[in-house]
Amino acid sequence: MSNKKFLINKSKWLRKEIFEMVVKVNQGHIASSFSQVEIVISLFYGSILRYKRNNPKYKDRDRLIISKGHSAMGIYPILADIGYFSKKELKKYGTPQGILRIYGDKSIPGIDATSGSLSQAPGIACGFCLAAKRDKKDIKSFLVLSDGEHYEGSLWESAMFASHNNLDNLICIIDRNKQIILGKDSECLNLEPLGEKWKSFGWNVHDVDGHDYDDLLYALEKSLIPNGKPTAIIANTVKGKGVSFMEDVTRWHNTMPNSSQIKIARKDLEKNTIK
Amino acid sequence: MKKRNYLDFSISKNTPYMRDVFIDEVYFAAKKNKDIYFTTPDMGAPSLDKFREEIPSQFIHSGICEQHMISMAAGLTLMNKTIFCYAMAPFITSRCYEQIKCSVAAMDRPVCLVGIGVGLGYADAGPTHYTTEDIATMRVFPNIEIVTPSDVTSMKVIIKDIIKKPRFLFLRLDRDVMSDIYNKNIKFDLKKGFTNLINGKKKCIISCGFLLNKIYQKLKISNKKDIGLIDLYKVKPINKSFLKEIKKYDEIITVEEQWTDGGFGSAVLEFLNINQISKKIKRYGLEKKYYFENGGRNYLHNKFGLNIDKIIKDI
Repeated sequence: MSNKKFLINKSKWLRKEIFEMVVKVNQGHIASSFSQVEIVISLFYGSILRYKRNNPKYKDRDRLIISKGHSAMGIYPILADIGYFSKKELKKYGTPQGILRIYGDKSIPGIDATSGSLSQAPGIACGFCLAAKRDKKDIKSFLVLSDGEHYEGSLWESAMFASHNNLDNLICIIDRNKQIILGKDSECLNLEPLGEKWKSFGWNVHDVDGHDYDDLLYALEKSLIPNGKPTAIIANTVKGKGVSFMEDVTRWHNTMPNSSQIKIARKDLEKNTIK
Repeated sequence: MKKRNYLDFSISKNTPYMRDVFIDEVYFAAKKNKDIYFTTPDMGAPSLDKFREEIPSQFIHSGICEQHMISMAAGLTLMNKTIFCYAMAPFITSRCYEQIKCSVAAMDRPVCLVGIGVGLGYADAGPTHYTTEDIATMRVFPNIEIVTPSDVTSMKVIIKDIIKKPRFLFLRLDRDVMSDIYNKNIKFDLKKGFTNLINGKKKCIISCGFLLNKIYQKLKISNKKDIGLIDLYKVKPINKSFLKEIKKYDEIITVEEQWTDGGFGSAVLEFLNINQISKKIKRYGLEKKYYFENGGRNYLHNKFGLNIDKIIKDI
């Protein structure tokens, strides 16, 4: 099986896992987790992130924060798959008996920082990267950012700090699904030109198809080569990717599907959503 | 670059500024331990010039970005660094409040926040630079420690202790030079959290920091020898043994350079309530409004509810 085929199968697997976890307890953000699927699969299974299976505390691991904390739950199946905790935990997601909650917090193995309040993770990651640089350690930090986080001033504080301090070990992947809770960002408060904003803050910028592994991995591999600048990868995605009636529809940010919609979604998720 | 000669504030014969002694203490520790870091959103001090020049790899200019600074500090602690964040008191508390909540408190990170110029320390600057509410806003964090030293001797003990055991702590530094209270005879015990400075009979004043120092100097020469005075330098958490200390008094008077709502006196009230002690308590604080007036700190105290001579006279 080619690497790409392997990754595509992983995409299918992850979407199904997330969907079943969420509908079981009626808790979570399906659409936001679906737009980032290829991003997180690339990180974990595309030889980008350095980690040790079964050892979430491995000291020299790369750090990862799903800064858009509402979709941190979207990596739980991966964390179980790489042995950070028992797969049984996935069945207990969102229940008092389980350790997994919608928003990732530091008590969960594999979650490097608590997120949920937008754009605090970039500051935390600057702390990770600066410490690694000053200790002369090859540790990188990866962030998965949302569109909405770009409205927070603190994001740009951290962006300026990272480039001034040459934190080329910091890589932000922007899950650019162009949706915020009340609609498209272009209709609420336009974020564009986003790439130019990052560039003007002194970052390397890549603009890619966030559901295309060739595109994503090319940019991610490039980001691993230090050039004195942090990297922002604008991954253009579709919110709700993989479920026909959810794709790019605003109201699915945190709406739960009813029983007939669940049936349609399950059918959709049996197909390969990406090529 | 030719090295400049810097003053050693920790052994200076003249009473130095708290901030210089604080930075010097961190500097000496950081020289020996490369994991001790210092960050500031553009606050300067003569002692900081030395730190920046001699150990630049342990100094971080965060930019005038308090929110970023706090999250970054939390990140540094997750990489096993000890970090001191130093800024003007209003900007290291309210300005970045949510970052303190989520990045520091909720993740229980051992970040030391050092706010300079608490209360009306920046008297001539106005309400943007005052913190008349920082005790109220900060003491709600369940895992925070809040310490207000009233002289440099006690402050040195506090810094040494934080370096030994880094933790989530808000250190409230005064901007003004204050005369010494603590010495060989009057020992400062950080663990205890308070010091019984003057034994009284029926009434006792409880205060901290600049005002405590002011009251102490005045009571020393006052003819009201029966008023007790306690320096409650650790207002959060209040040590259980404080109860025994104040039980003997009929009346408690708290004096704070804050609005009293939720502040220092409220902390004492709640402490008594939790321990089911009923006692007469009077809380003195600043008048609850914003003042844009010249005249300096003492002038503002006298005008807006903290005329210490009058308070002592009225007791």
